Amino acid sequence: MRGKAYRGLQDGQLVQLVVEKDAGALEVLYDRYGKVAYSLARRIVTDEVLAQDVVQEVFLSLWRDARRFDAGRGTLATYLLSMTHHRAVDVVRREENLRRRRTSDEVLEFHPDPAPGVEAEAEAAERRAEVRAALAQLPPAQREALTLAYFGGYTQREVATLVGVPLGTVKTRMAAGMRKLKEALREAGREEQPWTRQ
Amino acid sequence: MDTPMNHSEYEQLAAGYVLGALEPDDEHVFQRHLGGCSECEANVRDLEEVVGTLAYAAPPVDPPETLWASIQREIRPERRRVQPLPVRPRRWASPLVARLAAAAAIVAVATLSVWNLNLRDENAGYRDRVTALEQATRLLNEPDTAKVALEGSAAEARATVLAAEAQDRGVLVVENLPPLQRGKVYELWGIPDRGTGRAQKALVFTVPLRRQGVQTLEFQVPIQPDTVFAITEEPGPQGSEQPTTQPILSGEAQTV
Repeated sequence: MRGKAYRGLQDGQLVQLVVEKDAGALEVLYDRYGKVAYSLARRIVTDEVLAQDVVQEVFLSLWRDARRFDAGRGTLATYLLSMTHHRAVDVVRREENLRRRRTSDEVLEFHPDPAPGVEAEAEAAERRAEVRAALAQLPPAQREALTLAYFGGYTQREVATLVGVPLGTVKTRMAAGMRKLKEALREAGREEQPWTRQ
Repeated sequence: MDTPMNHSEYEQLAAGYVLGALEPDDEHVFQRHLGGCSECEANVRDLEEVVGTLAYAAPPVDPPETLWASIQREIRPERRRVQPLPVRPRRWASPLVARLAAAAAIVAVATLSVWNLNLRDENAGYRDRVTALEQATRLLNEPDTAKVALEGSAAEARATVLAAEAQDRGVLVVENLPPLQRGKVYELWGIPDRGTGRAQKALVFTVPLRRQGVQTLEFQVPIQPDTVFAITEEPGPQGSEQPTTQPILSGEAQTV
């Protein structure tokens, strides 16, 4: 663990230090969110080097313009991980060969954690369990549409083609699925969890 | 084009929007609506949180140690190690020349030390500026980049926006902006619908006290063909969520 002096600081305080170009603060934020950002990027782009590029770009973007983060709009985790998702999807769309390498079934597949129970980041593990439980509760068709878009980077029209349903049906499924996820994650009581810290 | 006719259809587009899964025409329609609908804006904020949280569903993979190292290299560029050239002993023409050479060397070392300290501080800044310049060059080379000249009350100032609509990003090139009052910042806005829509925050920046040269700054903001770009003076350091003063410079993206 790096940056002992910063460990007790909340995300919002660390961002303020990053605005002042304090590299130690960025390092602590990387310790907090670098792994989950990298895991997401790896899952989407399925390439180690490209995933590293995505995460590097996200943290450099925070470094160069930390003022863009608006605490009134959401948590820092949301800001960083949404940005990671957007960038990774951009990459996967640009690198068409990445998509050709895998089928939609592979996108939908969920592997178990490589070493469940021994993960150091208990918070992240707990969060993962909640998110996966929320996904598992969705009707399969909604989960499929969301997973293809989120982890596969497919557009709604592409999802419609892959699944073989009209575009309107995909729109409805995604909207309903996201609404249910929002409710399920709220119920999981994330406001008491440390990852929402500001 | 499937133009939504009622609000429930916009609500439906919100999910695809935050997932980045909308088709370009739907995205355009939704973005236009989003600028003026507080309900959809709140919904998008909530759904963005879901997008962020879904990341935790990805199977955990430890990033390689080299990843942080490479980020660190970018933010604190290491000083380049210069290989010393082999020095051949030489005979001075006279003791006076030797003394003058020694004195010159001492002055040079002292000057270089000060210079080196300054360089260390400025390296990070230069790196950012080079990145912005590269982005500007890239945008100039792209066929769909709009060039927007900003004009207004700051008569001596020159400001140009290079806007890439397809990427929702651009570069602001500014020169000779008036000095800011203490605690104030400049803020660049993208205002859709010819300046009648809800202003979107694009960039908060200041003017360096000493350097009155050209500044090149990157930004990201939703861009449409009729977006107006405007610069206002706002309270620092964070700027404002909406403009609180009249723009000192503004200009509209022209469809080419």
